[in-house]
Amino acid sequence: MNNPKPVLMAFIFGLLCTAVFPQTKPLSRADASEVINRISEVSKSTLSIESHFTQSKEISVIREKIISKGVFYFKKEKLLRWEYTDPFPYLVIFNNDRIYVKDEDSENHINIQSNKVFREINNILIGAVKGTLLSDSKNFQSSISDLRDLYQAILVPKNPRIKETLSEIILYFNKSDYTVEKLMLREVSGDYTSIEFSGKKINQNIENEKFTIP
Amino acid sequence: MKSLLYLNIFTIIFLTACSPVKKSQLASCPKGSYKVPSWKSPFLVTFEKALFHTTLDIKGNHLSGITIIKRTSDTSFHFTFANEIGITYLDLDILKDTFHPLYIFEPMNKKSFLKILAYDLKLLLFSDSNYGNPEKFIQKSTGKEVFSYPGMNLFVWPDSETGRITKLAGWTTPFDAAIIGFNPVSDTFPSHIIISNPRIKLSLEMNLLGR
Repeated sequence: MNNPKPVLMAFIFGLLCTAVFPQTKPLSRADASEVINRISEVSKSTLSIESHFTQSKEISVIREKIISKGVFYFKKEKLLRWEYTDPFPYLVIFNNDRIYVKDEDSENHINIQSNKVFREINNILIGAVKGTLLSDSKNFQSSISDLRDLYQAILVPKNPRIKETLSEIILYFNKSDYTVEKLMLREVSGDYTSIEFSGKKINQNIENEKFTIP
Repeated sequence: MKSLLYLNIFTIIFLTACSPVKKSQLASCPKGSYKVPSWKSPFLVTFEKALFHTTLDIKGNHLSGITIIKRTSDTSFHFTFANEIGITYLDLDILKDTFHPLYIFEPMNKKSFLKILAYDLKLLLFSDSNYGNPEKFIQKSTGKEVFSYPGMNLFVWPDSETGRITKLAGWTTPFDAAIIGFNPVSDTFPSHIIISNPRIKLSLEMNLLGR
């Protein structure tokens, strides 16, 4: 009689793999186009977002994670405020072409036009949060997959300046409201940063003062 | 003969000028009148890893973020400095004799900068008292003890009560002369470390977030 153990083990292993590593199913071109259109519609109607976030920076070589937390505000068209509370207070305001950075000891003003790296980061963050990066075929090659209750969009940079730093940007969209649940920035070094949003408030009034650069 | 003399004078002036510590500010102590302390970098004393809030200022450019330093073996450390949003600026393996840059943010990828940073980090992480017999001085302005290791171009300020180091100064070339300050020295590990290279206007400041 055959030993049923290996078959049983393989079955259990298969179940565990499915549970631990959810399978992604690439969308057909038509379905992907439909999802992009829905995301684009939602993006157009999104005037503001306020959300808590948890950021995890994974350093692959030493298998360490740095966790940061805070509150994030976005207001159309190009106003962004990242307010970190943990592990230390830190504030970044993106106000059109200007960036203001404040930490415990210092304040800094950065002009995006004169700083190409910050300009790219600013465009990526705003595009990722709004979901408009998906339609940016000039700078990114995108593919969309079905991942249980999320859509996973993988964006591979075409722009050489972005490619120097980032190898992939992965966006996770909620299937029910087509807003971004999570974004991952995978770096050339192999490290990645994931930012997970929670307690999202869409289109609620956010005072302009939140984005004022002193 | 005259040109050789000038060359020697120039070399002495040049080497003296490299030092971040002015000997004129130190009063020497007679040899044999003092006990040589035993000391180690805080990173060599039961250290596994630490997380720091970090700022790097160089020639008017200001960067901030988080640094993680992890001991990876008896003779190696891993150093990662990333901005708050998570983009890596520097990802380095630092060994006692070598230095492996694994990833450098492109605008910072300058050979001269990395060479100086490598020296700074080796000085920070691997310094200890096994460099032979030092000379003792008293710093005239503060009255503090200073030990000089002439063969290593290294000055050390040990705390007379705890034996821990409060300051290190060293150099290998005129450009990498570095001063490292540790504060406070009363705890098991310093909560604030500042590395400065006055000649290239580099300042790396690290505030301990956790271990």
